[in-house]
Amino acid sequence: MAEGILQVTARSLYISAVASLAAFAAAVLTSSYLARSRRRVELLTPVFESLVGVPTTVVGLLVYMLLSPRGPLGFLKLLYTPYAVMVGEFLVALPAAVAYMARSFHTVREGVRELVLSLGVSSEGVVSALALRELAPTLLTSYLVAFSRAIGELGVALIVGGGIEGYTNVLTTAIALQASIGEYEEAIWTGLVLIAITVVVALAVRFLGERVLWR
Amino acid sequence: MEVALRGVWHSYDGRTRALRGVELVFAGPGIYVVLGPNGAGKTTLLKIASLILKPSGGSVLVDGVDFWGLSEGERDVIRRRVAYVHDKPILLRGSARENAALGMRIRGEVDEALLEHYMRRYGLTDVEGLPASRLSAGQAKAVTLVRALTVRPKLLALDEPFAFLDDSRARTLVEDIARIAEGGGTVLVATHYMYRELRDVVSYVVEIISGEVRSVAKLR
Repeated sequence: MAEGILQVTARSLYISAVASLAAFAAAVLTSSYLARSRRRVELLTPVFESLVGVPTTVVGLLVYMLLSPRGPLGFLKLLYTPYAVMVGEFLVALPAAVAYMARSFHTVREGVRELVLSLGVSSEGVVSALALRELAPTLLTSYLVAFSRAIGELGVALIVGGGIEGYTNVLTTAIALQASIGEYEEAIWTGLVLIAITVVVALAVRFLGERVLWR
Repeated sequence: MEVALRGVWHSYDGRTRALRGVELVFAGPGIYVVLGPNGAGKTTLLKIASLILKPSGGSVLVDGVDFWGLSEGERDVIRRRVAYVHDKPILLRGSARENAALGMRIRGEVDEALLEHYMRRYGLTDVEGLPASRLSAGQAKAVTLVRALTVRPKLLALDEPFAFLDDSRARTLVEDIARIAEGGGTVLVATHYMYRELRDVVSYVVEIISGEVRSVAKLR
């Protein structure tokens, strides 16, 4: 492989970070909306939980159909660009993040609301601010879930990114390519890099959380 | 502050009734003990009387006005006179002191001297900087009591207030609620047994069994 592991790693991190941050932000908004009613949580959270199980190749196919030249979003000319991979990874990460957050959002919000009411205040702003602080560990974990889903998926990156060297090739597509041409040793090293990244990011986010956000 | 429950009933699941047709008046200053076994409906009764929980049926009159018929803004004004302490301490992230000050903080009226007074009274000064998660059950309970006392409620509702408390803190609490009642406040205490030092200060005992008020006895 002409491209160095560092470049592929940097690209993987960039694409997955953007996709997972976008998915995380969308998940926070979705979960906040769901959390406002027990009915919504009970009705819609299982939908997101089911979507976690959709194979990433199917998500990739869906994004391909959307972005292909004859698809509804073909005019954007995003197919086989890093942005297409970001969109796909966003869709892969979003249900996992929502599935992780929604119920906690509801439970914590209800608990905080009752506490705030017990002290004679009913402001939704106060409830939201306090609930958000209580949810810090859940938020961090759900970001990690989103990031792990994004960086570890192959189907989307292969179908809508194409694993183009120097452009859309990420760690998972690099592993697939290396294994397909018999370069198993390189594939194993790339795999180890992928594992190391997920572990290091998880530890870094946890450390940050424990030291800064929820002391 | 008079709170009257008229034909109040409540169901959490739409099938079982936690309260059935309760007719009860907490008529102004004094200490009212709501006595009953586990599952009798004491907590539900207290939450409804504290204006936290809207009953499934019946009405809650505060000084003669139907509370749940008021606008959100009007309800907020009345609620600011009330504080309720849960049976199991509910603490948020942050130190013991931050938790104790929460009631005043969210009302936008922090009185450091008053907070200091109650923190000392309940023996919390030494642990005020500790994260809430590291407090003992008794300390956590004391923090929730300080949190409620510092908002100077006209109606204070305490659900199983002596659970987790040692004798010294329990005596302090009895002194404090007696002072609130003497000052014109109303204190509701839900408990499954009558704490011995509470007997001397109680005005009324309301006995509740299976969601129904069985008797109301005036003691003082």
